Formats: sequence, structure tokens, C-alpha cells
Amino acid sequence: MQVIQNSKIQEKIYTEKLTNGLKVIIIPKKTQKKYIIWGVKYGSIDHKFMVDNREITVPDGIAHYMEHKLFEQENGTNSLDVLSSMGVDANAYTTNNHTAYLFEDNNGKFFEALDEFMNYVQNPYFTDENVEKERGIIEQEIMMYDDYPDWKVYMNAIKAMYHNNPINIDVAGTKETIAEITKDKLYDAYHAFYRPDNMAIVACGDFEPQEIISEIEKRMTLQNATQNVKRIYEEEPQEIVKSRMEAEMNISMPIFTLGYKDEIACENQIKKDLALDIIFNILIGDSSELYQSLYEQGLLQAEPTFIYENSETYSHILIQGQSEKYDEVIQKIEDKIEELKQKGIEDEVFERIKKKLYGEYVKSYNDVASLATTFIQNYFRNINPLDYFEEFKGLDKEYTMQILKQAFAKDKKVVSIVKSK
Amino acid sequence: MEKKDFEIKQGIKAHLIKTDLFKTNMISCLITVPLTHENVTKNALIVSMLRRGTANFHTQLDLSRELENLYGAAFECGIDKYGDNQILRFYADSIDDKFALTDEEILKNTIRILLDIICNPLLENGKFKEEYLKVEKENLSKIIKSKKDDKDLYAYETCISKMYGENGFGLYKYGYLEDLETINVDNLTEHYQNLIQNSKIDIFVSGDFDEETVKQAIINDENIQRLRPRIENYILNNEYTECKQTVENVNEIIEETDVTQGKLVIGMNVNSNVDKVQFKTLLYNVILGSGANSLLFQNVREKESLAYSIKSIYVKQKANIFIRAGIEIPNFEKAVNLIKEQLEIMKKGEFSDEDLASAKEFVKSGIAAIETEQDTGIIYYIGQEISKTNVSVDEYRKIMEEITREDIIEIANNIQINTIYFLKNET
Repeated sequence: MQVIQNSKIQEKIYTEKLTNGLKVIIIPKKTQKKYIIWGVKYGSIDHKFMVDNREITVPDGIAHYMEHKLFEQENGTNSLDVLSSMGVDANAYTTNNHTAYLFEDNNGKFFEALDEFMNYVQNPYFTDENVEKERGIIEQEIMMYDDYPDWKVYMNAIKAMYHNNPINIDVAGTKETIAEITKDKLYDAYHAFYRPDNMAIVACGDFEPQEIISEIEKRMTLQNATQNVKRIYEEEPQEIVKSRMEAEMNISMPIFTLGYKDEIACENQIKKDLALDIIFNILIGDSSELYQSLYEQGLLQAEPTFIYENSETYSHILIQGQSEKYDEVIQKIEDKIEELKQKGIEDEVFERIKKKLYGEYVKSYNDVASLATTFIQNYFRNINPLDYFEEFKGLDKEYTMQILKQAFAKDKKVVSIVKSK
Repeated sequence: MEKKDFEIKQGIKAHLIKTDLFKTNMISCLITVPLTHENVTKNALIVSMLRRGTANFHTQLDLSRELENLYGAAFECGIDKYGDNQILRFYADSIDDKFALTDEEILKNTIRILLDIICNPLLENGKFKEEYLKVEKENLSKIIKSKKDDKDLYAYETCISKMYGENGFGLYKYGYLEDLETINVDNLTEHYQNLIQNSKIDIFVSGDFDEETVKQAIINDENIQRLRPRIENYILNNEYTECKQTVENVNEIIEETDVTQGKLVIGMNVNSNVDKVQFKTLLYNVILGSGANSLLFQNVREKESLAYSIKSIYVKQKANIFIRAGIEIPNFEKAVNLIKEQLEIMKKGEFSDEDLASAKEFVKSGIAAIETEQDTGIIYYIGQEISKTNVSVDEYRKIMEEITREDIIEIANNIQINTIYFLKNET
């Protein structure tokens, strides 16, 4: 077991690789809560892969469908219900690049719930009948997303950037693609990706590290498959698809997204995350002159949202906001980016924003659920969150300027708008 | 966790919650006033005006930068509806002094800034700034207009207003466009002076601090010193004030707009004031429609695949339960009938002992969060303060343990549908 300590924020973190290759990270906290999350590096983008010499293409939305179906048990029960009836808060989610199963215990039922939890993730039970039953529910979920303007403006920005990368399809798939999902296809995907060396577990809360690690190990039955699995991604050109996408919905104020398709290769991911965070704050954060002046003019009512997503096959930056005069706002943000590239960043501003980020970092250790989720997400981005503090201390203006110049390239820019009908 | 309350002046209280589970100190300052059509829009506007600047920090930019220097202290303000009251809420959280990179008084300064925002606004010739008001009126009008953007929320709000009309709880917490037009710097400043000198004010601080230091910091704060004692004036909502008349005819309303998925809201009355009715109804509501084990989730979503989202919400201040569901539009009648069947199941007591036991576990888990989540703790004690109740976390657990199946059935038989509201696509 490896132990890492950060005495400044008074936290210790323990990591262990189990005999079957699964990585476990423990963050003990003084609280009554116990939170565990089990992540699988399998998301909506993994729809084409090789198992030994067999090429398999699965329908869009299958990773998400699997997340729903894994709760189903052979004895007719549903593990989500079983866990809920113990009073633990259980859930699961699917993203572009990973799926996660989790629960939180506040009532001293953790180990009882852990039996059920580890049992269902390791024992899929798909039948024609139970697969069929889920279709209606997922169709409703897809329709619910169709009514969200935020989702529309995001997906259109992604579609404007990516030619081939499957990030340009909805995580849940479409009504048509999920119609093709069968139990055999679910089993194919399960066996290919639900392997210990493709997973990680993070436990955060009232834990004794050695004890929880052996409790997990005791319940572990998954073995690494002997077959060789390789993901297939079509080559993605560096160029964008088109520079602008527009849609109309019944909303009172238009929503815009300004996006930049970014280089995938990155030497130091934490450092880049930090630099981008600083850039966003300086550019259009609530202490920026640009945001204040747009607010004064009534062009923005709230600070835009900043999103940076990346994996081994995609990388992009999105700035999303709401404005009647979206084109004017976008133009001003672009002008400001160019101005910053020319003039550089002031020392006072850089240090102040760094101080803010440090505060946010300390705060992130407050909540066991979001802390564990961040650890899982970062694990699949090959980030070791424990390096954060060192990288933070070393972050300088020069590197930040270098990222600014590289990541906000004019020819990689897309704009997505959802207008009012 | 340990909580101490003290009165700073009549009508102004501080509530100090000591806990060492968090890295932050959280401060929540509330002004509670009755919801009236006359004042609802003005109050909403006051909140946005106050965050624009203070006599010490003239602009939002100055304020933002000051907060960033306190390690990114978060500041938020907002408007809440709590029964028949409107709450103007100001909130800040910052990391504890012990995590500062150099020796700094983060908590004291955060309290100072928060009180400055609330009590010491930037005035020009004794009035709010004309140019700030112009922008904030425009912003508020956009918020009011955007009510229809979130269709789930719109359906819920509309159902409430159909049930209560233009009165107290029936009002929209951000107010109304026609009233916004009549507001100017003169009447708004006057309204603010009246509000700050005559309303109930509560300051909650949660974190790992020295009690005496925080108490003194609040008492000796210049802004607090300028406030006068006042008589609390707000509306007390409880099981006695909210016991409803029997519903003769269920009000059924169908409206059309541009949606893919139909939004169904069923508003129900709880006509009972038996002992501990709020705790019993809470448990009833969990069995009916909170979480994955509930009857609604199991029978409407899981068995019939009729909805993706379905849940029921208990608004104890007004003794109402609202069932909210996103359903396929042609399934409206089928869904309503199936929901009614679930209400019958509850009345007949055809839920299992496991359902009751797991509902109790669900509630217990929520009770635990009062101590393990800083904001949940503050919200719980705010509720206690405004409803003038004093139930400790341990008592709360004990009451839950003692509730029986018969108690739930009794509640079930006193619940009536008041309004069925459905938002569907345009035909």
C-alpha cells in the first residue's frame, strides 16, 4: 500500500493494486459518511473494438444501456432497489469515456451494501425480456434531454468539431440505435471492458484503509480476460467540421457556445488543467473587466461556464453562456483572447487567481462524493490528483501563456447557438 | 456538532453551529418577510441591487477581487419561497484560517464583507444608483421571462399558482413584469430602508471557529451596530394554519407549449393535524414517491415504463404533496390512473413492512446529512427557526422510529388530489 500525505491540507491518501490488477484508492475522512465509486473505462465513445481477431461494432448508447441493466439480478430483484431499501444512496452514470457505479452510506449499513454492490457489478444478468423492458425508459430519458437547450448547444458544438470521433454522438444513443441493442451485444461489451485492469475503485469517508482494502479484495471475483481487447477509433482530422451550428428552441434567451478544438497530446495534464482554469478566470471570470463590462451593458447576466474535456482521442475547450446579442459577446471574448496573447497577464491578477484556485482545491476536500468522483474521472485521464499541490506551486505565467497561445487557435474555433423561436 | 443561538438585538439572531468536519466556514444571512404581491418584485430586485456594491466596495469588480483575495470565498445571494414567506438569502463560504498560505483572518473578513453587502449598499445622494437599477431591472425581467425555459419547473410553478392564486405561496418568487415597471430608485430605496430596519434577520455560521470570537465579530460589526431592534413580522406556517378544506372537484388543467415530453404535476392536500403529522407525512411521501424504492418509481417507471422521471415532493410548510413526472404525451390518462392506483394502495395499507422500513432508512440517511453536510445542517436549522420548532437531530431520529404503519394509513386517508396539471405539445 502506498501512502501520500499532504500536511498543508491535512489529508492522507492510500493506494493499492489488488492481485487481479484493480486499482483501489482510499481517502479516509473524519465523518459518518462512507462513499464508494467503481469506475470502468468504458463510455459512449467505445463502440468499435477488436477482441482477439474479431472486430465488434456495438450500437450507439450501449454503455449507458448497460449501466441501466447491470442492476438486474437473476433472482428477479433489482440491486438499485435492494440498496435503496437499506437506506444507502445508490446511483450510476455514464459519460463519453467511463461508466461508474456508486453508493453512499450514512446509516452504518456499508458492508451489507458492499455485498450487493460488488455482486451486481461483477455479475451481469441480461435476458431478452429485461433488455426489452428498459427500452421505453431510456427512450424517455433521451426525450428528456431533447428538451434541454443546454444539451443541444453542447452537442452541436461537439458535432461542429468532430468528423469521426464518437464523442459526436449522444451518450444515451438515439431511439433508432438503442432499438438494436440485444443481450448478446451487451455481453460482448461487458466481457470486453468490465475487467479489473480496466477499472478503479475509490472509497472516501469513514474508512480504515487496510480494512476496506481487504473487504474489497474478499468480494472480488472478476478475473482479467485472456483475450486481447483493443479499441478502434477512426482517425480524427485536426480540422473542425464547420465553424457554426444554429438551432431554434422555445427559450426566452439564446444560448451560445464558443468552442476550440484542441491538440490531444499534453505533457502534463494537471498543469494544463490549472493553466486553463487561470486563463478562463482572467478572460471572462466574474472578476474580469470583460465580464463586468458585458454585465453592465446587459449582454450577460451570469458568468459563462467553462468546460475542458479531454481523453486520448479528443480534447476541446468550451465557453458557454446566455445572451440576446450572442455574436457581439463572442466577438468580445475572441478580441480579449487576442489581446491577452499580445499583452500577457499581469502579476497581480495571476497571483490573485492562483490564490482563488488554491481555496477551491482545499474546498474540494469537503464533500466525500464529489471528491471521490473527481478522483475516478482523473484516474481515467491518467492524472494523479495527489500531484496537484506540487504542480500548483510550480505553475507560472510563462507556461500559462504558452497554453493560451496553443489552445485558442482561430482556425479551430466553432460557434454553436440555440436561438429563441 | 453543537449549536448555540443568541439574540444580537430584538429580531436579529445569530446561530453558531460548531463542527470540525469541514475545511470551510459557511455563513448564511437571511431576511424573512411575508410574501405579498405588493412587495415580492421589489424584494427580488433588492437582492440583485445589494450585490452590485457597497459603500466600501463600490463595484461588483471590487467585491469579486476582495473575495478572491480571501482564497476565493464564494458569495451567492438569492430569493427563496418558504411557505407564505419570501426569504432574501445571502451566503458566503471560505476556507478555514488554518489552511491559509500565510497568516490571515479569512472568516472575520468574510463575515465583514457579507454584512457590508446586506446592510451598507452603495448609495448616491441617499438613493440606489440609477444606472445599476436600470441594469438590474432588465436582468430581473429576463429571469421572470425565462420561467418557461425549464419546462419541469414551469409546470411545477404553474400548478402551485393554479392552487393558490395570487396569494402568498401562489406567487412567483421573482415577481411580476407589470410591477417591475413601477419601481424606481426612490420607492426602492425607501422599501429597502424599511426592510433592513424592520424585518427578521438571522445569521447562521457553521464551521470550526472560536465561538466567542465570532460572536464578538458580529456584535461589534459596524453595520450590525447601526441596525435597530425590531419586532419579527412574518407568517408562521404549520399543521394548524394549513389544514385544508375538503376538495369538492379536482381541478384539471391542460396547457400546450413546445415540448417533446409531457410534464405532469399533481398537487395534493394533506388534511390532517394529528400529532407529529409532518413527520408522518414525510414518511408517507417517501414510500409513495421518493427514491428508487417508492411505489411511483417502481410501478409507473420500472413496471410500466411510463415515465423516465417520477417523484413526489412534500412541502410541509403548506401541507401539500406534489407528484411530478415526465411522460410520453399520449400516456397522460394512463399515467394519471396508475398514479391514482398508487394513492389507493397507500390508503389500503397495501405497502409492505419492508417498504416502511426502507423509507425509515431513507429518512435516517437524510437526518445524518444534517451533521455531515454543512449546507444541509444550515438549511435544517433555518427551517427550525422559521417554523419556531426545536427538534434535535436525536429527537428527530427517535420520532421516525416510533411511526407505525397505522400512522401512515391514517395520513393516506386524509390526502386528496387538488389539482392535476399537464403541459403538453402544441396540436
